[in-house]
Amino acid sequence: MNANMLPLFVVIPLLASALAIMIRGPIPQRILMIGSPVLTSLGGLWLLFEHRDTPVLADNVGAFPAGVSIPLISDTFTALMIFVTSATVAIALWFLTQTGEDRFRFIPALSLMLIAGVNGALLTGDLFNLFVFVEVMLLPSYALIAITGTWRRLGIGRLFVVVNLTTSTILLVGVGFVYASAGTVNLAELAGAAQESPSVSLAISVVLLSLAIKAGVVPVHGWLPRAYPATSAGIMALFSAVHTKVALYAIYRIYSVTFEGAAPWSTVLVVVVAATILIGAYSTFGEHIMRRALAWQMVSGVGHILIGLALFTQFSIAAGIFYMVHHIITMGSLILTSGAIEQTYGSGRYERLAGLARRDPWVSAVYALSLFSLVGFPPSAGFFAKIGLVQASASAGAWQAWTFITVIIVAAIGSLIASQKLWSGVFWGPQMENYRPDSPRAGRGRRVPLPKDVKVSARLAAPGATLMLAQLAIFIFAGAVLPVMLRAATALTDVQPYVEAVLG
Amino acid sequence: MISVLPITIGVLVAGGVYLMLQRGMVRIIFGLALLSHSANLMLLTIGVTAWRGEPLVDRMDVATAADPLPQAFVLTAIVITLAVTVLMLALAVIGHNDDTKRMPSTGEFHDR
Repeated sequence: MNANMLPLFVVIPLLASALAIMIRGPIPQRILMIGSPVLTSLGGLWLLFEHRDTPVLADNVGAFPAGVSIPLISDTFTALMIFVTSATVAIALWFLTQTGEDRFRFIPALSLMLIAGVNGALLTGDLFNLFVFVEVMLLPSYALIAITGTWRRLGIGRLFVVVNLTTSTILLVGVGFVYASAGTVNLAELAGAAQESPSVSLAISVVLLSLAIKAGVVPVHGWLPRAYPATSAGIMALFSAVHTKVALYAIYRIYSVTFEGAAPWSTVLVVVVAATILIGAYSTFGEHIMRRALAWQMVSGVGHILIGLALFTQFSIAAGIFYMVHHIITMGSLILTSGAIEQTYGSGRYERLAGLARRDPWVSAVYALSLFSLVGFPPSAGFFAKIGLVQASASAGAWQAWTFITVIIVAAIGSLIASQKLWSGVFWGPQMENYRPDSPRAGRGRRVPLPKDVKVSARLAAPGATLMLAQLAIFIFAGAVLPVMLRAATALTDVQPYVEAVLG
Repeated sequence: MISVLPITIGVLVAGGVYLMLQRGMVRIIFGLALLSHSANLMLLTIGVTAWRGEPLVDRMDVATAADPLPQAFVLTAIVITLAVTVLMLALAVIGHNDDTKRMPSTGEFHDR
């Protein structure tokens, strides 16, 4: 692939978004809505193969000279993220077509805009441009979070907008500080700058702080478990695949390029990451609603992913990236399957659901395997993801090794028991007696007796099951996947090829 | 002259944070507007430590012209903040009433 084709990852979804507003028919809108992420995902796959020979592709957009222009850069890490996020987004959008939510006006256009922002944020090599693409990603999300909504979702929309606008302001100020202290916001020119100058280090830290809020790292995580479960399951799956993950990607990229190694304050990172893992895992106990429990598990997952950065060895970063890929897919599967159950029985509360293991054995099997992946049991991608993190910790310095291995195992036990609580509430027990059928006008209908033939339909369960199969595939072909992660990690530990490709 | 911008920024941040800690959505919106104005002024101080000429090629000597990049940053940031402010004002009108504890009867059921 020619480097000049990189802007297409942004241009194609944006164009499709414009078309989706003009063309109103359900079939063409669905083709555009699912076709574009499938296309960018295939593009990401193509880039992955391309990067085996050429590690970095860089395009100076508009043919301005290097250093002045805004570069779009792709390496193995970028390509991997584009591939995984676009594929998961496509499956989340497939779920939206099954619940009928895609027939809300503007949902196809908004979700395509979201993809354009995500791809741009993953590709860009310029901090201010990152801010702009993050905004391009967030603006449609403000509408998406409330659009399929009932009254309650508007309230959550407020929380989401206020938190994200405040965070974006901090990000903007941070980018300004970087420009003031280093004289450039081009990431390649900033390589190693934060390690040399304390003022640049402080400025970069402000940028990283704002990204940490967007990722949901612990002292600043409070918005995530409130906002996400309150939207519909399809939209939550969409958000969980992109928002926090783009923030995590940016943290990985900016941290490793500007510090070229561990930051002087990496001890803080260790403490914050350990707290994130434990608080996320143990807060799951307090929840009685499936998707709220999953949102806390997302917080825990963010902590696990950042272990790679806190240790900063090639293997730890590879393990962190592996965990990120596994987490995107597993979370998508769990959220979409929970959504299918909610859509069918009208509730996600443990006490309103019971006996699904007998009523929907296949859906239960999908859910069980995804929960295995979440906790880290074989056969699942989560098993290798956690083994990788433990191994990376073991080979690190003494106290970090003790801290992280303890934290990972204690958090896994917590997640296991919390998952068992979910399982015994939703899947075991006597059969339910009544339910709330889906109602197009009111969202949920009145509580009525549950007939024998009402089951989670195959078309609703299929998207979640597809993602579950994807994580099983990662488990089976882990040997083939790991070298890709290692190459992605090399791009972060050795930034010289990245700098050379951009600045020529 | 140099201390005018920092003092203005400080006042804007203080007012913005104060307003954001209030209950009403409209006040939070005003708070965010103040906060984003302070961020914009902060960006301006990066390029302009004193009053300088317009950054126009051929018209102005590079030595006396202002740095155009922070101005471009501010322009972009203003546009984004404007759009989000409009959306938030819409949410303030159609969302919860600020002190309502019960849901209005919209014919929807809230049993997630």
